[in-house]
Amino acid sequence: MATEPRVVSAESLPLNLNDNRAPLWWGMWGLIAIEATLFAALLVSYYYLRHSAPEWPLGGIEEPELLLPTVNTAIILVSSVPVAWADRGIRRGLRTRLAAGWSVAVILGLAFLAIKYVEMSSLAYRWDTNAYGSIVWTIIGFHTAHVMALMLKTVVVLTLALRGYFTESRNVGVQINGLYWHFVVAVWIPIYLTIYISPRLL
Amino acid sequence: MKETVNYQELMRVWRNPTGLASLTLVNHKAVGLRYIVTAFVFFGFGGLLALTMLLQLSRPGLSILSPYTYNQFFTMHGTTQMFLFAVPVMEGLGIYLVPLMIGARDAAFPRLNAFGYWVYLIAGVTLYASLLLGRAPDAGWFNYVPLSGPEYSPNVNIDFYTAAISFLEIAALVAAVELIVTIFKLRAPGMSINRMPLFVWAILVMSFMIVFAFPPLVLGSIMLQLDRMVGTHFFNVAAGGNPLLWQHLFWWFGHPEVYIIAIPAFGMISMVIPVFARRHIIGYLPVALSLLTIGLVSFGLWVHHMFTTSVSFLGMSLFAAASMAIAIPSGVQVFAWVGTIYESRRLLWRTPLLFSSGFVVLFVLGGITGVMVASVPFDWQVQDSHFVTAHFHYVLIGGAVFPLFAGLYYWYPKLTGRLLDERLGRLSFWLMFVGFNVAFFTMHYTGFMGMPRRVSTYMFGRGWDTPMLITAVGAFVLAAGIAVTLVAAISAHTRPADAPADPWGGGTLEWATASPPPPYNFEMIPAVNHRTPLWPATGQVGPADTYYHPRDDQRETIGTSILDAEPQQRVLLAGNSVWPVLLALAVAITFIGSIVTLVAVPIGAFLSFIAIAGWNWPREVGA
Repeated sequence: MATEPRVVSAESLPLNLNDNRAPLWWGMWGLIAIEATLFAALLVSYYYLRHSAPEWPLGGIEEPELLLPTVNTAIILVSSVPVAWADRGIRRGLRTRLAAGWSVAVILGLAFLAIKYVEMSSLAYRWDTNAYGSIVWTIIGFHTAHVMALMLKTVVVLTLALRGYFTESRNVGVQINGLYWHFVVAVWIPIYLTIYISPRLL
Repeated sequence: MKETVNYQELMRVWRNPTGLASLTLVNHKAVGLRYIVTAFVFFGFGGLLALTMLLQLSRPGLSILSPYTYNQFFTMHGTTQMFLFAVPVMEGLGIYLVPLMIGARDAAFPRLNAFGYWVYLIAGVTLYASLLLGRAPDAGWFNYVPLSGPEYSPNVNIDFYTAAISFLEIAALVAAVELIVTIFKLRAPGMSINRMPLFVWAILVMSFMIVFAFPPLVLGSIMLQLDRMVGTHFFNVAAGGNPLLWQHLFWWFGHPEVYIIAIPAFGMISMVIPVFARRHIIGYLPVALSLLTIGLVSFGLWVHHMFTTSVSFLGMSLFAAASMAIAIPSGVQVFAWVGTIYESRRLLWRTPLLFSSGFVVLFVLGGITGVMVASVPFDWQVQDSHFVTAHFHYVLIGGAVFPLFAGLYYWYPKLTGRLLDERLGRLSFWLMFVGFNVAFFTMHYTGFMGMPRRVSTYMFGRGWDTPMLITAVGAFVLAAGIAVTLVAAISAHTRPADAPADPWGGGTLEWATASPPPPYNFEMIPAVNHRTPLWPATGQVGPADTYYHPRDDQRETIGTSILDAEPQQRVLLAGNSVWPVLLALAVAITFIGSIVTLVAVPIGAFLSFIAIAGWNWPREVGA
């Protein structure tokens, strides 16, 4: 026996969840998957060029210096901590913690960029020296562009935070910016190991 | 409490702007239609290029096109059909149909859809502008270095390729992410992952493939552009570079690409055949798993395009095995389709089924030659000959264009509210089917006779002239068949838009709403309890026994869990905005501007940043 369909109002469902059930959160993972593939292709290209090269680094270029890049790696790894701290803060509605955490993170990011600049401007080779120079400069340049974009993006989110836009129940923007921050930090680890460590080890 | 729908509010909230303001619209159906129409326009252009080339080759020694122009023509033909037609048309259909099939009011990121379309349009127009200037890319659609490098192609032609391709693929990538999230999060309550229509499965697999296949292509194009413009040496042997790196990056994308096109086509066939066979598809689960398997295995095939390079024998053997293995999941689907037709008690022989059956025949033929060229020694014999051209046209035209036409005849009433003429449809099918086989079956033979691909002319007495004439005649018959469908599509618009909501008796949710659907798709979201909600179980009236009613006064739809589609939240969807088109222009300055001067790159990047900030700036905060 057929029955009349039942209609329920969706008003009882919450509007726009903030956590990993939010479409935006999945969208950010999509962007991260694309970018991770791009970085993976860059690193594979590095090893492919090395595989077909008679010596590495090519053309008598010295193995990369370690001190500055290692300090810099520490800086960028540490920058994830205030981001995570800010993120947990805003989930509990602590706006000051959000603003403070991100300000510290941006300062660390700027320090990373400054040290990177010093390091790269002292190199004896450029992108047009040979294929080694090309791949190293491209990988570093690509990652640096990401850090720069991240800084700009974070400044926008920070402005919104200072205006009190984010709250305990409205913070998905904070979370996905944090997610992207952690990605840009994490992707530096294989880059560091490839460019600075692998020529010495392998 | 009795729920009532406030249609006035719904229409106000979801209305598409008209006139100049239509630049700002984001609705998935409007954007999807723009994609589909634009893609077919490019399909026509690409086809005209092919006809001109075949005219030139129909007799030996003709000089309708200079060799220089001929190179541009075959490059633009391949580039158009792969990048400007096949991928965008599949994504456009996905953008149009997926939200309807899963019972959502719009896609997850409507503005991203709009942005992707503008990127696609600008890139396509740029490429064709280069052709009109006589400076189109001319090193083949796979653009091998060193031919395309700074030394052998110093002209601007290849700069158009590198800039436009890396720019264009942004469109493919954003559409892919958007489709994945839509499918994951916005399915109607109860549409668990094992109840999704097979077309939605296909679009999901295609989108994941795009996410992992396209970035290396973008990277390769950027590397080549750097080699050409700032003097890097990625592909320059003299400075430690390696030209094979380009081939690896390109085919890592390029082989999955074939399946990125074919998988949505398979999905369409799996939707069309059950409706016209009047029964459920045989083997829903094996078919869905086959789509997944093809998606995975297709990433292990790229080296079979490189059997004539210095790749190691072990490597070649592995890639040859994988290339043959992909015949298994393809075969599973063929058996499911044939079985569904065979088991039908009252087959409805209408145009969509005709194209679907034609597809099965052509795809099997293309698959057989595929297994042949997967064998390394055989591949060495026919590499770069017309045999390979014949093979991949069977796979691409047979395997993607025929299903696309099946889908076009099937969904045209949903897209436009008008059915296509059945007699014109049949005529179009037979002209296309016969013309295609005359043209391309003959090409296998020409290939065996040694005719290389990509030559602008040839001498008398090689035994190629008669088969090439037959091929040219066949190609014109094929083109006539396509033109008949164009006539059918146009003439349909001289009649009133009176197609019923479900003209074919389809079983999936896109047929539950009007033809064409209102901008909000569904006033209420049905709670689905099996795979074909419109073929209801006994005792049920209509597609569902429960409906969810989101609010009418803002752009809302229901968000559900990924596997079981349990209702979780109401999702607020973005409305019309001018930022997508502005961002597309800013990104275009970055990429297309780089052809002229590299200063455009930082300028465009900064403008893009402003556009992204404007796009995401919440209205509540104020300026």
